[in-house]
Amino acid sequence: MALVELRNVCKSFTKGDQTITPLDHVDLDIEAGEFVSLMGPSGTGKSTLLNLISGIDRVDEGSISVGGVGVTELSRGKLADWRARNLGYIFQTHNLIPVLTTYENVELPTLLLRLSSAQRRQRVELALEAVGLTDRSNHYPSQLSGGQEQRVGIARAIVAHPQVVVADEPTGSLDTKTSEQIQVLLQRLNQELDITLLMVTHDAEVAAIASRRLLLDEGKFVEQNVDTPLKKS
Amino acid sequence: MIKYVIKTLWRHRTRTFLTVSGAAVAMFVFCFVGSVQEGLNRLSNGEDANRSLIVFQENRFCPTSSRLPQDYANQIGKIDGVAEVMPIQVWTNNCRASLDIVVFNGADPEKIQQNRPLQLVEGNWQEFESRRDAAIVGKNVATRRGISRGDQFSIGNISVNVAGIFESNVPAEENLIYTNLNFLQYTQGLDSAGLVTQHEVMLQNNADPDRVAREIDQALRAGPVATTTRRKGAFQASTLADLVDLIGFAHWLGFACVGLVLTLVATTTVMSVEDRMKEYAVLQTIGIRPLRTLRLVLTESTLLCLVGGVAGTGLALLALSLGGFAIGAEGSTIAFRPSFDLLVYGVVVSLGLGVVSGLVPAIQAARVPIVKALNQP
Ligand SMILES: Nc1ncnc2c1ncn2[C@@H]1O[C@H](COP(=O)(O)OP(=O)(O)OP(=O)(O)O)[C@@H](O)[C@H]1O
Ligand SMILES: [Mg+2]
Repeated sequence: MALVELRNVCKSFTKGDQTITPLDHVDLDIEAGEFVSLMGPSGTGKSTLLNLISGIDRVDEGSISVGGVGVTELSRGKLADWRARNLGYIFQTHNLIPVLTTYENVELPTLLLRLSSAQRRQRVELALEAVGLTDRSNHYPSQLSGGQEQRVGIARAIVAHPQVVVADEPTGSLDTKTSEQIQVLLQRLNQELDITLLMVTHDAEVAAIASRRLLLDEGKFVEQNVDTPLKKS
Repeated sequence: MIKYVIKTLWRHRTRTFLTVSGAAVAMFVFCFVGSVQEGLNRLSNGEDANRSLIVFQENRFCPTSSRLPQDYANQIGKIDGVAEVMPIQVWTNNCRASLDIVVFNGADPEKIQQNRPLQLVEGNWQEFESRRDAAIVGKNVATRRGISRGDQFSIGNISVNVAGIFESNVPAEENLIYTNLNFLQYTQGLDSAGLVTQHEVMLQNNADPDRVAREIDQALRAGPVATTTRRKGAFQASTLADLVDLIGFAHWLGFACVGLVLTLVATTTVMSVEDRMKEYAVLQTIGIRPLRTLRLVLTESTLLCLVGGVAGTGLALLALSLGGFAIGAEGSTIAFRPSFDLLVYGVVVSLGLGVVSGLVPAIQAARVPIVKALNQP
């Protein structure tokens, strides 16, 4: 059984008298330890897919399970509990809590786990070390650069040791150099910490770092050959 | 998580400070009104209120107009159920409602010491008994008028030598000045030799106050002046009737304060939460339950109310204990005193208001549409 399983998933939105169905009976399997990148034209439902997998949005039809848990069956409160332990979410714009320091932002998810304060401290320090921000522990988000903020966001997403981490255009608002740092970081997280990653991106070069590349087009997933040479932008 | 709440409040410290100050002012007034209310309740329900009777001239209200023969005391003393009678001459500087009323009670010093719950904090009883123009002064009056032992205190035609300052567990007592009965009777302008304003009747333990009151009035009907006898509590409540109405009205002021705190804190919390809907969506994406989100907001509003409320209550109690405030009319006074009950009441009301005022924004935050809020810029 795959770590993430989507079966027959449908999701549509109604705006006025118009109905858009970005996801129309889609199936998808992601194995544990995979690093999957997902590309596709704007408005095809990539973000929607991540939101459904993380349970912050609801499917209209079909089912999603992650690590054997039927995400589509859980109540809102249970979903939150489940996310705290099993899912990390990396936003395009980091979404850090402005009143909390780097350390406190990363610590936040660990407060929801049953950990001793020593264990908690260790987790946070490890996560900060992984993203190379140990020396910025006491800085507030407003005192960090965009790349640093994104790295804090990543540390926050992995600190609870989730089964899956989803990332919605994690490099979307960064310059090329910073973006490259983040790419290296994500690759390391996947290879060294064995984190299963699902990343949405518009950048083919970013997509190329993944071990498996998918294209979402007209409501269907298309596997891209990893060996296919990429168009340079 | 409490750190998050406190830091959030600190981030908007101007707004927080203004809200807390507003809550403090309102709770200050609330406690002040509460203390007036308490003073009134003590007068009509206190221990003292039902175990002694006041015999007054029929259809008279102001102490200057009630003139009873002093020797009525002998007749009253014979009635079954009466433990003791204390003839009292009352003098007041103001028969109408006033915030700075001075009331003299002239009675036999020995009886005062026996029957009134007074403790001298300065001076001694011997001195009070030995000098004809000696007086002992209640702590409240002393504070208000800046009187200390050894002073010569004059008001109107009366001039007394202060032999002591007393405290009492009956706060209204602390608004009185006690002198010798004789001294007050012979004060120029009162011309009350052989006459007193009222007789205070101490009852035996098991005597029915209303029966004794009826019997007193019946027995004295034959005398030169008819009387009305009431329980002390009822007597004071009726002499203060106008004030009682006013205080009833002040009660509404208390409610208005509660409403004020409620809207103030609710507004601040709603503003704070609406500004940060995206933050709550992020928190829930991280794994914070809706219920916990609710608690975070309630903690925020409760902190605002509690800090403001405790400050306001504390200041009110401080002002009450230092100010020696009292309001009086026709020789009866209501003391505004700080009390432990008032403190508990202030804190509990603040706590309750904090929770209630946070309820609506808390529900908003808990039910935030996560995806929609995350997509906000
Ligand atoms: N709450 C909503 N109400 C109405 N329509 C919505 C809503 N959310 C998404 N949509 C529509 O669903 C479609 C898919 O949206 P989604 O955000 O998943 O696209 P996307 O693939 O992530 O696009 P992009 O690459 O631009 O981020 C879009 O056409 C969008 O307009
Ligand atoms: Mg998107």
